[in-house]
Amino acid sequence: MIKMGLFCGLMAVIYAVFFIVPPAQGLGNFVRIAFFHIPVAWVSVLAFLLSAYWATQYLRKREMKYDWKSAASARLGFLFCVLATISGAVFAKLTWGVYWNWDPRQISIFILLLIYGAYMTLRSAIEEEEQKAKISAVYSLLSFVTVPFLIFIIPRFYFSLHPEPIINHLGRVDMDNVMLYVLLLTLGVCTALFWGLLSSSVSNVQKRHLANPIHSNDKDKVKI
Amino acid sequence: MNNNVVVQLINVGKKYGEKQLFQGINQVIKPGQCLAITGPNGSGKSTLLKMIAGVSKPSTGLICIGCGDRFFQHEESVGYMGMVSPEIVFYHAMTGIENLVFLSRCRGVACSLQYASELCATVGLNEYSNKQLSMYSTGMKQRLKFAIMLAIQPSLWLLDEPSSNLDGKGKEIMGVIIDTALKQMATVIVATNECWEMEYASAQITLA
Amino acid sequence: MPVHKLPLREAVWLVFSKDLLCEFRNRYAISALIMFALVTLSSISMTIGAVMLSDELTAVLLWIIIFFCAMAGLSRAFVQEQEAGTLFTLQIYLQSQAVIFGKMLFNIVLLMGLTVFIILLFILFLNVDFSLWKIFFVILVCGDIGIGAVATLTAAMVARAQGQHCLFTVLTFPILLPQFLGAIHATATVLGGNMPSVSQFIFMAGYDAVIISGSYILFEYLWYD
Repeated sequence: MIKMGLFCGLMAVIYAVFFIVPPAQGLGNFVRIAFFHIPVAWVSVLAFLLSAYWATQYLRKREMKYDWKSAASARLGFLFCVLATISGAVFAKLTWGVYWNWDPRQISIFILLLIYGAYMTLRSAIEEEEQKAKISAVYSLLSFVTVPFLIFIIPRFYFSLHPEPIINHLGRVDMDNVMLYVLLLTLGVCTALFWGLLSSSVSNVQKRHLANPIHSNDKDKVKI
Repeated sequence: MNNNVVVQLINVGKKYGEKQLFQGINQVIKPGQCLAITGPNGSGKSTLLKMIAGVSKPSTGLICIGCGDRFFQHEESVGYMGMVSPEIVFYHAMTGIENLVFLSRCRGVACSLQYASELCATVGLNEYSNKQLSMYSTGMKQRLKFAIMLAIQPSLWLLDEPSSNLDGKGKEIMGVIIDTALKQMATVIVATNECWEMEYASAQITLA
Repeated sequence: MPVHKLPLREAVWLVFSKDLLCEFRNRYAISALIMFALVTLSSISMTIGAVMLSDELTAVLLWIIIFFCAMAGLSRAFVQEQEAGTLFTLQIYLQSQAVIFGKMLFNIVLLMGLTVFIILLFILFLNVDFSLWKIFFVILVCGDIGIGAVATLTAAMVARAQGQHCLFTVLTFPILLPQFLGAIHATATVLGGNMPSVSQFIFMAGYDAVIISGSYILFEYLWYD
């Protein structure tokens, strides 16, 4: 049922982006890429926040289900972050002529990518499950704590060697009402897609875990 | 001043991933008593000692360490406890006396160099006390561990295979030290498979 | 049997002096770090010849060398203890805050010593003029505290993992990036003869404070099972 709903939502969004949204001033048809890029970037940040939240829950309660959720969120977040980086680079090439020029938003998404990458490398380097859960939870929280500093430093950091961005990011431009509604729709559908993928990933891990009767534990049953 | 420390193990169990090491351990150990933990290799004797030491947490159950009618918080109990274990490794770049002084000071015991020398002499490390740990044999390192116990004088003694690597003289010295500790109402827990070490014990737990 | 509790300040000093003594006797880290700094800077100086570097490039170069020296040498705080087997001894004898702050202090002092050496090399090889040296010193201290603090905590994380040295750099860099960029920006400003704004200093000091308090809370989870 939910999968049908998600599929319909996705179809509706694709239709809206390609047929309902008018070409933007200056950007023309390229603006349609933004309707993919913005939701995907938003979800990668959301996944990061959720991962940090569940990491805190794990450290407090020491229940494996929080570690599964935190790790699944990070894996999906990484995927969405890669999509956001690529779509952003393509958009940049089409509108500004270069794929990458360390524009503030590009710096932020890149750092998020590094944090996700580091988190996943850390997880793969530790074998024992409880150690893995504990140490990656600590790293998740440590990286979360530095994010406010990124938000402050990035806008101030302009190297004179690099050109300033020519065009303001779409989010700061006053938007056409139609565009705004379609954007909100895509944000909603993307978030729902992320949530669906997350639930299915976590329940897969739970099934694998419960298939082994030795560590069957009611506490570990997951409800998202 | 004696701190009569009581250790209570309530339904303690430990599980590593898929392997259940042990479960359902219930015991009370009072001051002046010695508990022996026995069992085959890999049964979890060292693990149980580490849990009592506070370094590891039990998967199920509770370990309560207290004095009088008050139970200690987690890090508080560390100050009352001393451990002899094969896993305790000293700093090879420092001498025996330096290691002794450092570890005693970690516990807040101001140990002068002269007193440290005397303790080393008590455990039979006279000539080696000023040599770096890299030159010590395993037997000497074991004796040094007992010297540190004498320096910090803990109320709770956790001994994991205390006579390992000790020669006859070393075992004698060790016996005297444990005996004295019990007479001073220390609480002693020994993990061992040696029969003669178990003779000190008034109670025994066997891990299958 | 008396129970003595060591005040935190003394316990931190104890760990710090123990690390200092062992390092002094072994000289594992310090010799490698000094050679690393010398080789890197001299190779750059040799290849660029008489060319004058801009303020920004000099600032970037300085902090990159400090960063990579840190990555080469600061992980030993926990990794060496783990490899020698003495980590367990510390767990038995010391409280967690003493260990993290003692080792953090050691790493920061080591890094500061190395930074002084690197600055001397900069003056020697690249003829850099540090006219606003008091302000510059403050920036160095803030930056080094940040790098030292983060490196100590990530060293504790990788101590029990595989592929430790590689993983150490990978984990530290994203966390350190805000402070790194801030320090480079402030240094570039100072080298140009201008005062960095007050908010820059607040930012750097704030970052250090957050990392140190974060370590205080998070390290306990790493230390005990």
